[in-house]
Amino acid sequence: MLCQSCGKRQATTHIKTILNGELKEYDLCSECANKMGYGSFFGNMGFDLDKLFGSFMDSFPTASRAAKRCQCCGSSFEDIARSGKVGCANCYDVFYEELIPSIQRIHGRTSHIGKLAHSAGTQVKIQNELARLKSELQKAIREQEFEKAAQLRDSIKELEKNNT
Amino acid sequence: MSEKKFDTLKDVNDVVISTRIRFARNLREYPFPCRLTDEKKRQVASIVKSAVLDGHSAISGRFGYIQMSELTQEEAVSLVERHLVSPEFISERQGRGLLLLDDESVSIMINEEDHIRIQVISQGMNLESTYDLADKIDTLLDEQLNFAFNDKLGYLTQCPTNIGTGMRASLMLHLPSLKESGAMGKISSSLSKLGLVIRGMYGEGTEPKGAIYQLSNQVTLGISEQEAVNNLRDIAYQLVTQERNARENLKKNITIQDKVYRSYGILQYAKLMSNEECMQLLSNVRFGVESEILTGIDLPTINRLFIEIQPATLMKNIGKKLTPQERDRIRAELVRSALMKPQVPSSHRLEE
Ligand SMILES: [Zn+2]
Ligand SMILES: [Zn+2]
Repeated sequence: MLCQSCGKRQATTHIKTILNGELKEYDLCSECANKMGYGSFFGNMGFDLDKLFGSFMDSFPTASRAAKRCQCCGSSFEDIARSGKVGCANCYDVFYEELIPSIQRIHGRTSHIGKLAHSAGTQVKIQNELARLKSELQKAIREQEFEKAAQLRDSIKELEKNNT
Repeated sequence: MSEKKFDTLKDVNDVVISTRIRFARNLREYPFPCRLTDEKKRQVASIVKSAVLDGHSAISGRFGYIQMSELTQEEAVSLVERHLVSPEFISERQGRGLLLLDDESVSIMINEEDHIRIQVISQGMNLESTYDLADKIDTLLDEQLNFAFNDKLGYLTQCPTNIGTGMRASLMLHLPSLKESGAMGKISSSLSKLGLVIRGMYGEGTEPKGAIYQLSNQVTLGISEQEAVNNLRDIAYQLVTQERNARENLKKNITIQDKVYRSYGILQYAKLMSNEECMQLLSNVRFGVESEILTGIDLPTINRLFIEIQPATLMKNIGKKLTPQERDRIRAELVRSALMKPQVPSSHRLEE
């Protein structure tokens, strides 16, 4: 499909927006999408599949891609790459190796830091708590709250001891 | 989160219109929405709905549930105009539900791109408390639902662009001076290198109507919520400073002053006004207030008008469908009554 703005390049981004009280949908090339302020392929603005999976698709032979499917939702990696949509949580395990280069390209990183769901593993929870305590310790030292810093240091030691 | 170093900038509401925090979450037991039948979507909706409404938190009782397929087109579009849901959410309404807090500060979209999108909005620059509320609601839901989460990749989402924290923090900014000075293109490309994105909120093209922009974090994996929020705040304060510097130059310009007064005049007296014209004039007047060319108009009134003059919201508030010309008439009336100076009795005028 050709870009609806320039009519020249291949459309790679699907955009949904509200214009003058009405819902409008457009297919745009990445250049026009950029020009129109939809440059990022994030959020609800649709995203640029070529950028995301395109180059990566070429590096996998078609046969090996087609063979593997997620047992939970039935997606193949080709389905995911074509739609830009991962089928289910299990897909991230099944296609981890295939997805990780794109993830690296999007985020520049490949491992999570931050809030944990209650379903997270114990080990991760401990790591996370340690990181939190250490950053609080740094803050306490910076702000010269030495009594608090001492308490935090004890908690960190305790946690590290139980964890080994 | 320390805001100390920006003490001198304390009140940034001249530039920052509103704050928004959004979390993307999914239920582990169900495929993501793109792989759900309508029947399964209804199941997800009912699970999330009861998790929120039957919760034991004080906030539970303040949510209302809206089945998206039951809304009129105007009601649905108005939700987007009020920034409560995404355009994507109303493009296909079957199987989608919305939980809305009574004061509309919290909206939970069900079966958008992800099973759950928690969104909290507040006025002005308010990252800390907005984040805290979103975090609290997320924790409440996490206690009752089994979220799709992976120790390495964090919260799992339908689109890999949202994995990790699943958090998007945004600030809505009014940047008329930076837009006027032609700096937005350069700002936008340098921001993308810092993992942030800025885009026009209204209209299309490189000339967003009303000079209203949305600044958001782009990267969600490998950066904590706190760090992402802090980055966003730092960059926003830099933009505030740049906007204010650019404003100082512009406000002395007689052509700019003339434009502000003419805009104010038209807004007070026009009988018909298109959406596009109105956005531009309101933006000019807001600039006038920010730069103290105009006095006696408060920014919240203008912020409110930016939303109330939108076509679908106009019709929703009137309670019926209107032709474009009727809309232009009612829009002009609405703005006129909001901005018209109260008539000052002549005796008062003498004392001044
Ligand atoms: Zn194009
Ligand atoms: Zn799957």
